[in-house]
Amino acid sequence: MIRIVGVLGIALLLSAACVALEPSSARAPEQTSVTFLISGDPADEEAYRTLVEHFMAEVPEIRVELLNIPGQGDFRRRLTADFAAGTPPDIFLINYRRYGPFAARDAIAPIDAFLAQSDVLRREDFYPQALAAFTWRGELMCMPQNMSSPVIYYNKDLFDAAGLPYPTNDWRWDDFVNVAQMLTRDLNGDGEIDQYGFGVEAALVRAAPFIWMNGGEIVDDPAAPTALALAEPASREALAWFVSLQNAHRVVPDAVAEAAESSLSRFLNGRLAMLMESRRVVPEFRRIEAFDWDVAPLPQGKEQASILHSDAFCIAAASPYREAAWRFVEFANTRVGQTILARSGRTIPSRIDLAQDPAFLDAQARPHNSRIFLDAIPTLRAFPALATWADIEGAVDAELKQAFYGQIALDDAIAAATMRSAEFFSRQE
Amino acid sequence: MAAPFVFGALLLVVLPAFLSFALAFVQYDALSPPTWRGIENFAVIFRREVFWIALRNTLVFAFSAAPLQALGALMIALLLHPERRGVRVHRAAVYLTSVLPDVAYALIWLWLLNPLYGPINLTLAWLGLPTPAWLVDPRTALASLVIVAAVRVGEGMLLLIAAWRTAPDSIYDAAQIDGADRLRTFWHITLPWLAPWLLLLLIRDLVMAIHSSLTPVILMTGGGPGYATTLLPFLMYEEAFTHLRLGEAAAMMVVVFALIGPPIGLAGWLTRRWWREDAA
Repeated sequence: MIRIVGVLGIALLLSAACVALEPSSARAPEQTSVTFLISGDPADEEAYRTLVEHFMAEVPEIRVELLNIPGQGDFRRRLTADFAAGTPPDIFLINYRRYGPFAARDAIAPIDAFLAQSDVLRREDFYPQALAAFTWRGELMCMPQNMSSPVIYYNKDLFDAAGLPYPTNDWRWDDFVNVAQMLTRDLNGDGEIDQYGFGVEAALVRAAPFIWMNGGEIVDDPAAPTALALAEPASREALAWFVSLQNAHRVVPDAVAEAAESSLSRFLNGRLAMLMESRRVVPEFRRIEAFDWDVAPLPQGKEQASILHSDAFCIAAASPYREAAWRFVEFANTRVGQTILARSGRTIPSRIDLAQDPAFLDAQARPHNSRIFLDAIPTLRAFPALATWADIEGAVDAELKQAFYGQIALDDAIAAATMRSAEFFSRQE
Repeated sequence: MAAPFVFGALLLVVLPAFLSFALAFVQYDALSPPTWRGIENFAVIFRREVFWIALRNTLVFAFSAAPLQALGALMIALLLHPERRGVRVHRAAVYLTSVLPDVAYALIWLWLLNPLYGPINLTLAWLGLPTPAWLVDPRTALASLVIVAAVRVGEGMLLLIAAWRTAPDSIYDAAQIDGADRLRTFWHITLPWLAPWLLLLLIRDLVMAIHSSLTPVILMTGGGPGYATTLLPFLMYEEAFTHLRLGEAAAMMVVVFALIGPPIGLAGWLTRRWWREDAA
């Protein structure tokens, strides 16, 4: 008897718990649920969660499930696995350098038609550079959420301590090297460098702006590339300057120092004066209290140039809820939606009208020199839109890294990268 | 009694393995349906220099790590075989290396091998010895991975101690009466007794080293510097899940299977033979 009562009691408790856990299903049985996959740090996730909550308050009949996979590599593999399993996320946020394989295989639902019918969004409101980066064979595939470009984050306190003026918006390569040299210091006289002048990832995405600034090209024909063009004199000269920052001038941590502690960590700990990064580090840097910091544009070369960074909302072609997914994407790109994300510091709006908005150009929030992100926009260029671009970039990065750290000669690196990337130019899937 | 296990193995291992063999002959990107490609996948991977680098690295890695691992297991077993005070604690400590999850094991080693702040280099510097850059230097990166794999001897140690226990005391008593010293006892009695087990252990370690190096490579080196630690499992993983070329990854898997098939066959043949002799 006691057992029966016990069982009944547990059953009652369970059903009560079910009711308590799913109050929304009882309220809105016709609710549509869509999944939204992102890749970011906790600050990103918080910003997108706020966005999702605002959307669900506005449109209660659509439920958005936010899923965050930290780490770009894990994110892409998860996305691939989900597509392969036939259960892709309805919406995912992806970089323009990485959406090619999905666009090439018709896995993304183009959004031209949605955008044309929208009452709240107009194509002209968005930066053409961002739209172009997500246009695949003439069709707009994804809705750009943000755009940025790499800049130099610098530690003001270290400049002050060295008695150096802060970088100006028109500084040049030579000025930059001089400053970096003066900020690279052995503080306790033990023969080991304790403070580095500059930190940068040894990767093509970081070297590219300097190649373009020098009048060089990364590929032979940016519109229809067939090979790397890094051996061309202007490209090679820029790459030689880039790798010399480490292997000749020694203003960047060497391979051992970088492996022991990353440049990002050194900057956060006040032991690295300048760091080349995109906008994404801002939420984390805003928590820095030990020193003051700001941003400066990349030092200039012969021409003005920088590289586009942009993420966009894509809708899976296989999603049964494309309409509902679009409503979320649409909301995310309204003034309210983009302001929520801009306030986190993480993103620069992809909308021209909002980029000038105080939510982004907030004089109180660091970096104070945020306007340089906007100033760079007319000079932004993008990597070619190829389904195999990740292979090509990977082949270059593997060699460039070794040249940067003085493990192989630059010309050998260029030759190896050119040879190993060749098959990926010819095979277009 | 074995039915659930057999069912699980069929569903989770044998069936996917057969499907992977089929994948080696198609073009498949996980997004659109597979299309027949014949042996073209093999032609593509054989033309790729990085594949040959990875194959060479895999063989160097496996043929260095496995013998060291078997040898290490033998030495530790010799040390920890006699029942002494505290020997169980030591055995547990050694066995811990084998029960630690791969991820934890790799992360611990990443810290141990940190070129500036890692305890290994701090100790070497304190002793006035040279401090290699380990995973950062292309010349020592693969060797570092070999060391990491080779010191994982817990399972081998346990197996060898267990095998040793099956040796009858009478032969050791006889050896003692004949006046054999410890070295001769080891050389003429213990080693021959353990030889079949050692051989099986070596084959098993070899097979494991060829196909299960993915976790340390991903977490510790990412295949670099350059391609110095790009081993076949890592290349397959990148090929399949980063670049969406599952057909070519499956073709590489067939190559890996061709590498590990013969030693597995040999192990099976040896075990059957010994078992039959025992039974006879």
